[in-house]
Amino acid sequence: MTHAVATNQTILVVGGGVSGMTAALEAAECGRQVLLVEKTPTLGGRTALLYRYFPKLCHPTCGLEINLRRVKASRNLRVLTQAEVTRITGARGDYSVALKLAPRYVNENCTACGACGAAVEATIDDPYNYNLSKMKAAYLPHAMAFPQRYVLDPSIIGTPDGEKAKAACRYGAIDLGMKVESLEIRVGAVIWATGWRPYDAAKIQPYGYDRYPNVITSLEFERLADPHGPTGGRILRPSDGREAKDIAFIQCAGSRDENHLRHCSRICCMASLKQTQYVREAYGEAGKSTVYYIDIRAIDRFEDFYSKVLADQTVRFVKSKPARIAEDAGTRDPVIHGVDTEGYHRYATRHDLVVLAVGMEPSVNGADVPHEIVADSSGFIESAASGGFFAAGCASNALDVNRSVQSATASALRAIQIVRKADRVEA
Amino acid sequence: MGAPGEFNLAALARYGNDFLAEVEERVEEGEWVKMCMQCGVCAGSCPFGPDWEHSPQKIFMMIRAGKRDEVLASDSMWMCTSCYNCVVRCPRKLPITQIMHGLAAYAHRLGLAPKMQPTRRWSLLFWDNCTKTGRVNELKLTLGLYFMDGIVAGFKQAWTLRNIGLGMLLAKRLNPFELIRGHECKDKAGIHRMLKKAAEIEARKRGFAKP
Amino acid sequence: MADPKYAAYVCKGCGIGERIDADQSAKIAEKEGKIALVRQHEFLCNAEGVALIRSDIEKEGVTHVAIAACSRRAKTEAFEFPGVALARANLREGVIWVRPDTAEARETTQEMADDYVRMACAELKKMKVPAGNPETGRSKRILVVGGGVSGLTAAVEARNTGYEVVLVEKQAQLGGWAAKLWKRIPEREPHAAPVDTGVQALIDAVTQDAGIRVYTNATLAQTSGAPGRFKASIAVESGSTATEEVGAIVQATGFSLYDMNRLPELGAGKSPNVMDQAGLESLARKAAPKGLPIRRPSDGGEVKRVVFVQCAGQRDDTGKHLPYCSGYCCNTSIKQAMYFKDANPAVDTVVIYTDLRVPGNGEDFYRSAQKKGVTFTKGSVTGVEASGDTCRVSFRDLILDEDASIEAADLVVLATGQVANAGVDIDNPQATDANGTKPISILNLDYRQGKDLPKLSHGFADSHFICFPYETRRTGIYAAGPVRRPMDIAQAKEDATGAVLKAIQAAENAELGRAAHPRSGDLSFPIVQLEGCTQCKRCTVECPFGAIDEDEKTYPVFNESRCRRCGTCMGACPVRVISFENYSVDSVGAQIKAVDIPDEFSEKPRILVLACENDAYPALDMAGMQRNHYSAFVRVIPVRCLGSVNTSWIIDALNGGYDGVMMMGCKHGDDYQCHFVKGSELANSRMSKISETLKTMALETERVATYEVAITDIKRLPVLIGDYAKVIEKIGLSPMKGFA
Repeated sequence: MTHAVATNQTILVVGGGVSGMTAALEAAECGRQVLLVEKTPTLGGRTALLYRYFPKLCHPTCGLEINLRRVKASRNLRVLTQAEVTRITGARGDYSVALKLAPRYVNENCTACGACGAAVEATIDDPYNYNLSKMKAAYLPHAMAFPQRYVLDPSIIGTPDGEKAKAACRYGAIDLGMKVESLEIRVGAVIWATGWRPYDAAKIQPYGYDRYPNVITSLEFERLADPHGPTGGRILRPSDGREAKDIAFIQCAGSRDENHLRHCSRICCMASLKQTQYVREAYGEAGKSTVYYIDIRAIDRFEDFYSKVLADQTVRFVKSKPARIAEDAGTRDPVIHGVDTEGYHRYATRHDLVVLAVGMEPSVNGADVPHEIVADSSGFIESAASGGFFAAGCASNALDVNRSVQSATASALRAIQIVRKADRVEA
Repeated sequence: MGAPGEFNLAALARYGNDFLAEVEERVEEGEWVKMCMQCGVCAGSCPFGPDWEHSPQKIFMMIRAGKRDEVLASDSMWMCTSCYNCVVRCPRKLPITQIMHGLAAYAHRLGLAPKMQPTRRWSLLFWDNCTKTGRVNELKLTLGLYFMDGIVAGFKQAWTLRNIGLGMLLAKRLNPFELIRGHECKDKAGIHRMLKKAAEIEARKRGFAKP
Repeated sequence: MADPKYAAYVCKGCGIGERIDADQSAKIAEKEGKIALVRQHEFLCNAEGVALIRSDIEKEGVTHVAIAACSRRAKTEAFEFPGVALARANLREGVIWVRPDTAEARETTQEMADDYVRMACAELKKMKVPAGNPETGRSKRILVVGGGVSGLTAAVEARNTGYEVVLVEKQAQLGGWAAKLWKRIPEREPHAAPVDTGVQALIDAVTQDAGIRVYTNATLAQTSGAPGRFKASIAVESGSTATEEVGAIVQATGFSLYDMNRLPELGAGKSPNVMDQAGLESLARKAAPKGLPIRRPSDGGEVKRVVFVQCAGQRDDTGKHLPYCSGYCCNTSIKQAMYFKDANPAVDTVVIYTDLRVPGNGEDFYRSAQKKGVTFTKGSVTGVEASGDTCRVSFRDLILDEDASIEAADLVVLATGQVANAGVDIDNPQATDANGTKPISILNLDYRQGKDLPKLSHGFADSHFICFPYETRRTGIYAAGPVRRPMDIAQAKEDATGAVLKAIQAAENAELGRAAHPRSGDLSFPIVQLEGCTQCKRCTVECPFGAIDEDEKTYPVFNESRCRRCGTCMGACPVRVISFENYSVDSVGAQIKAVDIPDEFSEKPRILVLACENDAYPALDMAGMQRNHYSAFVRVIPVRCLGSVNTSWIIDALNGGYDGVMMMGCKHGDDYQCHFVKGSELANSRMSKISETLKTMALETERVATYEVAITDIKRLPVLIGDYAKVIEKIGLSPMKGFA
């Protein structure tokens, strides 16, 4: 099925989020051969699951559409989804990479007509909505998914549901016999664009993320605000489905904390400021946002956005790292306890919903990369001892989208420098 | 800053490092004070929060601001019950509980602690009680506590709690003869020597005048 | 090129065959579309269907293919036929998925499908496969303007990639600000202490490389041309001019510090002991290499106390100073406080800040400074008063909630911000910068639209886009480093590396005649029939990328490799003489005319939807994917940008009996989302002028409506369409039907 021909002049990009797509496209549009591998069934990564970007409040899917068009148009770029790197050996300019390809159970005949999804009964947690909702076990990850091809969840293989999916497909697209494949390829340079994952909020014990339904993460909040999300864009409380109008945003949930993540995750302040505007968008003057913070890090022209939010009467700022969250047993309202350190004011404030601005950690810890790699103590990748590895975007540091793209573009150039040399040695 | 142990109080400048240096040298875990980033999680975590004047984070800022008299005369650190909520939550891993006790002890040593602060008085009572014989004499300690605020108050307190006292007596949990002499540890003199040595070590380490 | 041969394929898969009469659609393609070869297929995108098309191309000599199946956004891999013109009729996402599967809907659904087939056939007839122009690129050298860390990095990285470089630096020395620093902020763990700037190594790499031609004491007297063939006239110190041909440009002209003399309230100018961060670096560079302590400038006295005032003249909401945050200054003050603490821990250093902004691993650096005894206090400084050889710093302590002061500060360091050296403001050439100085042009472009890069906000030459930080508005010229956005050394190096890639890409694209982002790889370009041109200048003024110059007779001169193929010029042209080979006034006009307009008694209005292909069109597609139904009376044509919409299309549509036109483009204004910068805004203003024309046609102004649409408007668009259909119902069908 997979015809991935690669040579030591090929650049391998690991990770198909905004950084990986950018690195791959920029290199390909410079005329280089690029292989982009993505672990999940679709490109797009984490930004595809955001409702809006700061500071313009534009939609991430707009940029994704452009990038997907570039992917479709590029003759130098090949994409493998559901693919993971299991081993890398060799040295700069000549690596041998082992890939593991998970079965999709759907081949390229798929037209994304949706008949299999309609036929299957089993549902699974929807990771594209941070498991806030269920989806059919035969699914298109999301409306912008690329490749635009359905996926069968392995849990229905060998069940009547699997057969139902197969029977519903009129195009012979479903292949229940697909197996894990492995693939060995040769590449000249590797760009590690494996991105980030939200810090596990349940580890921040006093905030009760694992105990209180109305304490959610900033990523989950994105899904609630998104018209594609589980609530159709309505900000509803998990406990009772009631509209949440008084919302707290707690900064540094995991970041700047030696018990959790030592580094500042950079994006969370701006993300919360942005999310206060979702509340305003939904309720106008009737909404209420409270931001609990240590330092608001609205760097460079993001300050303009901060000023705009500061002027918004529906948003209040409290300089405080809250001590704990309790829950009102009757209403299940979260109550935040703490002290406003600007002058010292004790508070116990009830909210409809609490949003934890969770920190970023590298989704692949440098130590887990199957190659000798240089990573910092937080797991962010710097380079490899062999010299042909580059990190792009949040694999390298806690970065916002703009800086991730900048980083990915730079890493594409560094990778080109490697394969170019390999190129000349061969010639 | 002059020679160790001689802090030039007159020159204590606001936001200078003099008082901070003094705290670092003389207060248990004092070297952590500078690491606070003023997030306030300790302030909100303290169960006695509503009862004191300055939160730990604010005390730390006051130290950095050189507010020596206000800090050492504060009653806030005396309110710490060692629940360690602040310590487990502090994002900078400051040993806040230890610092609070350290500050209290230092303020007491300098005679700057609030005289009538109840925990301070209770702590003194406890210290004297247990170091005298090497054992805690519960009856004397209890009575000492009752009568801390005067004879009348003491009797009133004893009367209020008379049933408990009686019950303990009957259950042989309270020995009235302890009042006369009470039990002691085997080597009382040894304990005293040990405490003296410890005080000497502390004085040497922290630059106090020899006890 | 061989004679064009047209073929049309009607797919019956995904339910199309059940929902519409494919025979009828095929017949329409043949009879009305005049397509010689028409085929139907059960499942066109599978290997066998694609092989059928391929074989027709090879054996039958088919050059133009119309595919009536799914959206042009779907199955692109299957339907990719190099060298063949392709039109797609969207029968799936655009017809059957947005229509209810009911008996009464069947007729209108069929009409919709038939029209899309007609439109695809009509479009196909007007399309040519663009061949690209291989004549546009001659040089692939990279011109780097500015010899600071950003520029030096750009030069070295370009060389490492095998490209020759010309570097122009205004000063006599290379190195810029970084060469004036004693140390810099660490980039790697342990983030504990200031490190060597590394700038000398960069300077050496540049000066020792034969592939880099360095001009110091030099400025750009003029820059002309386009990617692949820029001509840079470089004025050198001797007064003579050197000329270099280059393929692309990296502008790394850095920043000036905000002038601290604008901050007398913070003691600037009142005492030599009050300085900006650069002033302190200069003291450190004098003292530290000799192992001497930094001394007080006023009298050479010992420094015992240093106060760092953050956000000096920054984050200002009074309108007097910089409104933004420069981002690097917190870390810089931390670094400078370490200069003192590392040398002598007894020196008091206090950093007064309102928000300490040390993102990422800066947190480690902050911690390290605290460990070294640097005192941080959240406060806002109200004044610095000099008295004798010391200063008093007054501030509000925001934690202790009281007015406070620091007496006898030996040094006060003001963290002033970065002001971009971005040249003149092309929209307002007389404007002064934040320092009150009137900038001189840096690039001296001979472009019709001005001498320098357009600025975005606060004088920085940044890109407006979050996803595309290098999406410059002057193709082939990329800003890097603090001229683009306030930043520190580590970021500037990264930024310069990225900018070099884009510069290389622009030069390579120019050689191949391909478009740069966002229509990367597009080989089409605007072709103008000059004989019809009335020299109205609209195209030269409205081009968002300044791609069009004017010759001495004020005829437009198109610079192909500067063009981004958005079609704004085509939309602007009142005499319709500008077109692309595969996208033209005719190719869209023909689609509009191809639609079958029922007579006015049919009660079947026709609404033309012109939809931005990047946002509105995908949103309509996704509405289909989610089976959100909308009116069968709309006929949607994707356009490259709303800016490319020529008013003649609207007039033709209305003359032809359409009842209304909906134009769906991206958000405009400050937070514009149009990737061609002002396409939707231009369309909006053009349409506001169309009301006069509507009046002369005795038509209601409601017949043309513009909408700001986002790609997420999957639920909103069907509602908008429904509402608009009601408006048309209310005002009645167009009286123009049947006259065309």
